[in-house]
Amino acid sequence: MTTLRDELLRFVNQLRGAGVRVSIAETLDAMNAIIAAGLDRTPMREALAATLIKDEDDRHIFDELFAIFFAGARNPTDDGWRKPGSESSIAPGSGRIESESIRSVRKDKKPEPSSVSAESEPREQSKTESEQESEEHRERETEREDSERDENRSDNGSEESRTAGEEPDAAPASGHDARRRKIERTPFEDYSDLEFDKARDALAPIARRFRVRLGRRLRMASSGRLDFRRTIRASIQRGGALSDLRFRARRPRHIDLVILADISGSVRYSSTLMLELIAGAANFFRRVRSFVFIDRLAEAEFEQKHLIMTPQLDLYARSDFGRVLGELWERRGELLNRATVLVIMGDGRNNRRPARADLLREMGRLCRTVIWLIPEERERWGSGDSAIFQYAREVAALVPSRNLRELEGALVKLA
Amino acid sequence: MRSRCSSAVDTSNEFVRAGLRRANYITNERVETAIFLALALEKPLLIEGPAGSGKTEVAKVIAEMLGTELIRLQCYEGLDEARALYEWNYQKQLLRLQADEHQGARWEDISEHLFSREYLLERPLLKAISAPRKVVLLIDEIDKADEEFEAFLLELLSDFQVTVPELGTLRAVEIPVVVLTSNRVRELSEALRRRCLHLFIDFPGAEQERRIVQLKVPGLDERLATEAARFVGAVRKQGLKKPPSIAETLDWARALQRLGIKELNSDAIKSTLGVLLKHEDDRAKIESKAGALSGRGR
Repeated sequence: MTTLRDELLRFVNQLRGAGVRVSIAETLDAMNAIIAAGLDRTPMREALAATLIKDEDDRHIFDELFAIFFAGARNPTDDGWRKPGSESSIAPGSGRIESESIRSVRKDKKPEPSSVSAESEPREQSKTESEQESEEHRERETEREDSERDENRSDNGSEESRTAGEEPDAAPASGHDARRRKIERTPFEDYSDLEFDKARDALAPIARRFRVRLGRRLRMASSGRLDFRRTIRASIQRGGALSDLRFRARRPRHIDLVILADISGSVRYSSTLMLELIAGAANFFRRVRSFVFIDRLAEAEFEQKHLIMTPQLDLYARSDFGRVLGELWERRGELLNRATVLVIMGDGRNNRRPARADLLREMGRLCRTVIWLIPEERERWGSGDSAIFQYAREVAALVPSRNLRELEGALVKLA
Repeated sequence: MRSRCSSAVDTSNEFVRAGLRRANYITNERVETAIFLALALEKPLLIEGPAGSGKTEVAKVIAEMLGTELIRLQCYEGLDEARALYEWNYQKQLLRLQADEHQGARWEDISEHLFSREYLLERPLLKAISAPRKVVLLIDEIDKADEEFEAFLLELLSDFQVTVPELGTLRAVEIPVVVLTSNRVRELSEALRRRCLHLFIDFPGAEQERRIVQLKVPGLDERLATEAARFVGAVRKQGLKKPPSIAETLDWARALQRLGIKELNSDAIKSTLGVLLKHEDDRAKIESKAGALSGRGR
């Protein structure tokens, strides 16, 4: 005899197996929620979702599992807005859990090895049985899931035809968030102009988050000198008593950022995005000097927060890191000092020209630190004309920045 | 388990449904169930979703439904306990001290008095905890607050109590209905998520938006409402910087009504687009497609 509690525990276990993190407290909440919401299909599904799923990205996993697990559910993806009178459209009984049908599904399913311990004796037996059968059933299982998916599809189809003439109530902008996440994870190497535009569009919220993270890191090394003016101002509220001392936020250290970004074809997307991210957060550093280069060095210029291509650069040239490092070395007096953090973005593909890694070592002595961000996949580091390993020996850190997310993480660590 | 449920206010799914209808809030089963559970289980409700999809509105509607007060805490970076929880009314304490000095009162009497509720300035959180009846506490845009503040909220959200050093621990008289909203500017901590029920609200589909428009802008021609809702739905799919919110749809519908526009052609759209879109780029993008998106001029 299976109880609702056991079913729920198994369901939670399946969720965990699918990678959704569910705590014990949340399982208890789910139990309470079902008791409160009742066992009608839709309220029960939403009750479980509200208590177990805390991230909208996990919702589709939940819907799929729910459909398989509680076999009465026929239309798991129906989260359209309720139509008038649709409450009554669930036929009585069809929405209840039918433990018979669950069992039949369960029999087909491959048992979870890490099943909960609160299972009763007969259940264990049936599990070992099904374990033996699992091989032959696995095929049937996939068949069944397929047919179920088909069923869903046809169900959705009929839903659409019912509301013919109207837009299907698809969720247009869960997209917005999901799109941002997706583009954050897309490797720079897979970018086309289209992805690049998308990334630029998504950059505003990312830049905001970046500034918050950067600011927080800088603030953590809390307070420095007494801020006399703000202390006096605060004391007025206290009738002149200097009870509330205010301190100047201490910049834990002054950072002069010098950025070299390769904007040749292979890495131009990542470089542009990096420069724009940093440009938006320039006030966190004492000084920011941004340079772009291909075979020569040129100061980066921005217009309305967007990098514009500097005419001094020959865009059809081929990358020459050695020459660029030489040019920087000549301007070392002006650019490099003990507070400088030198950030270089590039794949180190030097077209077999002299790498001049020795200059990088010398610069490392002048600066606080030198960091190299590399947008390439790790497997391809150092292959072909890449001189990245020569450079890697001379820099403090070689940080992979293959997508926006990694790039942001790498840049936050600058502070 | 059961006792906790039955101790809640007398609510049922039907009560919530009827309440939402009374409050003129059109929604779906997902939202209904979540609201119902928040009331029945007395747990905080965390609402996420795109800006302008009606997250804050949920809290207002719950307050209206229960016929109770809405206490709102708007979060921002740097929000601290003094602004969120309580502060001592220092001026008043000073005045009291001076007055007592003149009367030659003993220090024991004075000090006992100085740190009493009388001199406490209640900020939203304390106000919600100490309210004599059930209130709705809206913690808006929690993702804008610092992580420290989020951690500070945990005690409040799980036990509905706060600690004031001079007064001791204050327990909620009536457990408030807590609604948190987030735009996901930053990811919230797992600890906070665990303590909350979760609800994701998206923009409504065209049909539901039409119903909302007709409910909130009575007298608008039904055909026009349908077209407007469908147009806004199409606009939201264009990947704009800021997709129009439901409130902006309503503003737009009102504008159409006031201008006496009978038919949603591309001229009408172009002249009123400023009500719907607040970015020049977005505006240019949609203006060029106005005909196609409105389903006319194809």
